Amino acid sequence: MPEPLLDNRILERLERLTIQWQNSLPGLVGGHNTSRFAGGGQEFLDHRQFHHGDDLRAVNWRAFLRLDRLFLKMFQLEPRIPVRILVDVSKSMETGASSKFDYARKLAAALCYVGLVRLDSICLQPFSGKLHDAFIASGGRHRFQPAMNFLGALQPSGQTNFLECSRQFCSKYPQRGLALVISDFLDDRDCEKPIQYLADFGHELILMQVWADEDREPPWEGELELEDAETGQKVELAFDRDARAQYTAAFDAHAAHIRNVAERNTGRYVGMPTSAPIEQAIFGPLVKSGAVA
Amino acid sequence: MNFLNLGLGELLGLVGAISAGVVALYLLDRSKRNQIVATLRFWTAADVRTELKHRRRIQQPWSLLLQLISLALLLTAIAGPQLGIFDATGSDHVIVLDTSAWMGSRSGQGILMDQAKTNARAYLRSIPRRDRVMLVRADALATPATAFESSRGVLDSAIQQSQAGASALNLSQALEFAERAQKLQSQRAGEIVFIGAGRVTEEEAALSALPANLRVISTNSTLENVGLRKIGLRRSPSAPDTWEVFVAVRNYGVRPQSVDLGLQFSKSPAGSRRLTLQPGAEEQATFSYVAKSGGFLEARLNVRDAFPQDDRAVVELPAEASSRVVVYSDEPQLLRPLFLANPQVDAVFESPAKFDPAVKADVVVLDHFAPPTAPRTATIYIQPPASGSPIPVRSTKTGVRLDTWHPETTLGAGLRTRDVTLESAEMFSPGAGDIVVAETTEGPVIVAHGSEPKQVLIGFHPGRGSMKYELATPLLIANILRWMVPGAFRRWEFQAGTVGTVNVPVEASSKPGDIKVLDEANRGLPFTVDDKDLRFFSGAPGTVRVQMGDREMVYSLTLPDVGEAVWRVPATVHKGVPRAVLGDAAPRDLWPWLALLGGLGLLADWLLYGRSRAFRLRAAGAIAPQWKRMTQWRKAS
Repeated sequence: MPEPLLDNRILERLERLTIQWQNSLPGLVGGHNTSRFAGGGQEFLDHRQFHHGDDLRAVNWRAFLRLDRLFLKMFQLEPRIPVRILVDVSKSMETGASSKFDYARKLAAALCYVGLVRLDSICLQPFSGKLHDAFIASGGRHRFQPAMNFLGALQPSGQTNFLECSRQFCSKYPQRGLALVISDFLDDRDCEKPIQYLADFGHELILMQVWADEDREPPWEGELELEDAETGQKVELAFDRDARAQYTAAFDAHAAHIRNVAERNTGRYVGMPTSAPIEQAIFGPLVKSGAVA
Repeated sequence: MNFLNLGLGELLGLVGAISAGVVALYLLDRSKRNQIVATLRFWTAADVRTELKHRRRIQQPWSLLLQLISLALLLTAIAGPQLGIFDATGSDHVIVLDTSAWMGSRSGQGILMDQAKTNARAYLRSIPRRDRVMLVRADALATPATAFESSRGVLDSAIQQSQAGASALNLSQALEFAERAQKLQSQRAGEIVFIGAGRVTEEEAALSALPANLRVISTNSTLENVGLRKIGLRRSPSAPDTWEVFVAVRNYGVRPQSVDLGLQFSKSPAGSRRLTLQPGAEEQATFSYVAKSGGFLEARLNVRDAFPQDDRAVVELPAEASSRVVVYSDEPQLLRPLFLANPQVDAVFESPAKFDPAVKADVVVLDHFAPPTAPRTATIYIQPPASGSPIPVRSTKTGVRLDTWHPETTLGAGLRTRDVTLESAEMFSPGAGDIVVAETTEGPVIVAHGSEPKQVLIGFHPGRGSMKYELATPLLIANILRWMVPGAFRRWEFQAGTVGTVNVPVEASSKPGDIKVLDEANRGLPFTVDDKDLRFFSGAPGTVRVQMGDREMVYSLTLPDVGEAVWRVPATVHKGVPRAVLGDAAPRDLWPWLALLGGLGLLADWLLYGRSRAFRLRAAGAIAPQWKRMTQWRKAS
């Protein structure tokens, strides 16, 4: 029997958390985050002129008796927003001494559990070169075990293609919502454009970059023959201390670039090395970023 | 060069094999590694040299060359090469270093042994370095300290470790040993060098049968010394609580000496005597001292001479042992003369009504009395009642004639009587293992039971009738007590003497099988017994006990043995330290320099080409210009 992705102790701690978003998004009544959109909520928001076709139940009849004019009461909407967790399952995720793929699955499972406990609609969407079959569940912790089974059955495969996946995502999920992307963001093509595409479509983004220590600071020295895990391309080179510093600088610049794209679109970015325990990563950088609270 | 007796070709082969291993390890260390990475974008973004398809296999040839040269230097250092002409025609000398007790005597600021060591080192410096030397330490035995050795360091260390011993010099044996060693082991015999004071026995003082190649390097010593030769102690035969002490003092010098001899027992003065000793004379002083308790007896000569080691001797004396005898009798006056005659017997007389089976005594005497519970100690029954006798009473007769003694038994040794008729006597029926000591015409009247507790049954009263006036009666009681409590009648003799060979007079009755010679740890020492003497050897100070039947002699061999005379060296013998050989072109060892160079080479390789970051940083600073040029070349290529 495979080992569960998260143990009970972590799950108990996760029950205190809630997935948070910043933008006002339309959605069905029943959520727990307020929206600037008026609708069928409980909290009074404002009055406006009555127009034909408005709901007569919302008319302020006291004002009509005093002023002989029809005013309509508007209420603040607390919509139910779909939470979509995109998990990178490309071949590059299984490189490194500690697997980024396992780390990403654990992270996705934790966020899924937080959402299910708070009765959010959860969609687990794996991707690599295209979108794979998704797992969708709404509300209730009893849905967590199927989600765990789904994540446990995932296998790394394919080559990352963020652009294609973004297009497919926008067409597959027209309702705007919260998009949490768990990936190493090591697409050989630039991933700025696909991320911007998602933001422009109206999704609120939370980008979680996962890297192994070897991805950021390779420990090897001397002559190396390197093979790209996704493309199989090989290169021979001589690597030394100076080259390592340059490599790390390039990696950090790439991570900063992804952060800029997220923050520019009112999203959030969290970087997570796999050497940090998953519990520490959730209750540390993830909580600090405001993605969960 | 002597590298495991390998020839030049074999050595080169070994160097080649090790070099091949080093090259293989070098290439393995610098071979490329295959790695799978998540992406190549940052590798190409980093400014690293790529496309090494036509790279050279050996990336750091200077590093490899440096390693190979360093290893070759280290291997050559192990071979121990020497610079200079190796002359194998050196001589083999034997230094006989006097380590006898006299070498511990004072001379100036130090002792004679220091002078001898200085002379030995001076002799070593005077001979060519290619000559080999054997060091022999000579006292009562000649002991080789080294084999024939060319290393001056080893010889110097052996000389330094030599110490004055406790025995006298046996010069003839030492010279004979040196001669034999040269004959058997040397390639070209050199000199036999005796270094020391040459204090020997009087027989060896005029030793003239000497090796032709003998050289003598004498140490200057004063001749004046007065010392203790021997201390003897024994209990006085007439008064057992009195010790008779004999002290022998000798004047080894050439002038008459008057010395005070003091005796202390347990730090209390026990006697003193002033002795006047002629040159070479030995005087003996006798003391008597009453002491029942044990303690230490110390003899001391109040004299200041060059050799204080023989001015004091200490002997440990045991407490006087006596056996306790409890006599239960209604007529103690008849038995009192028999038991009180022996001073080593502490006799107590009680009436039979006071009998206690747990009485603390070595021997219990029951006169006409047999208790229901037998005593737990050795017991003498005198005419026991037939009902309580431990050995059955066959019959009781009057007017029987005592006609047979058994002198072959321990109890009957030396006993005999003539025309003795016993007024009343019990005849016993001895069992198997019982000893019959005396018999009448009607049967045994004295029987002994040998198993513990020992028992002797006397079928008549020894204090009555005609036996009262017989000499055999007290002897019988003495034999019985000695048989029952042998330790109380043991004769002790103590002697403090010198180490070496000890001669002990042996009584005619002693059998060699009954003699034991034991050291302090109760281990047997080898000894020989000839006609009248027992002889054993003790090379180190200590205590030796000699047991012969009921006689035990304790030898406290703590006095150093000093020769009585000084060896008169014949005029024909070479004397003094020879003049040093000039132009001694001894080969010099090169291995320290080769090892240093090899080590420095490996250290430099590690600093310049090794993987240690800290050292590489320092090295990078030192070779920065060259590194910059190489980087530019890499970029260009």
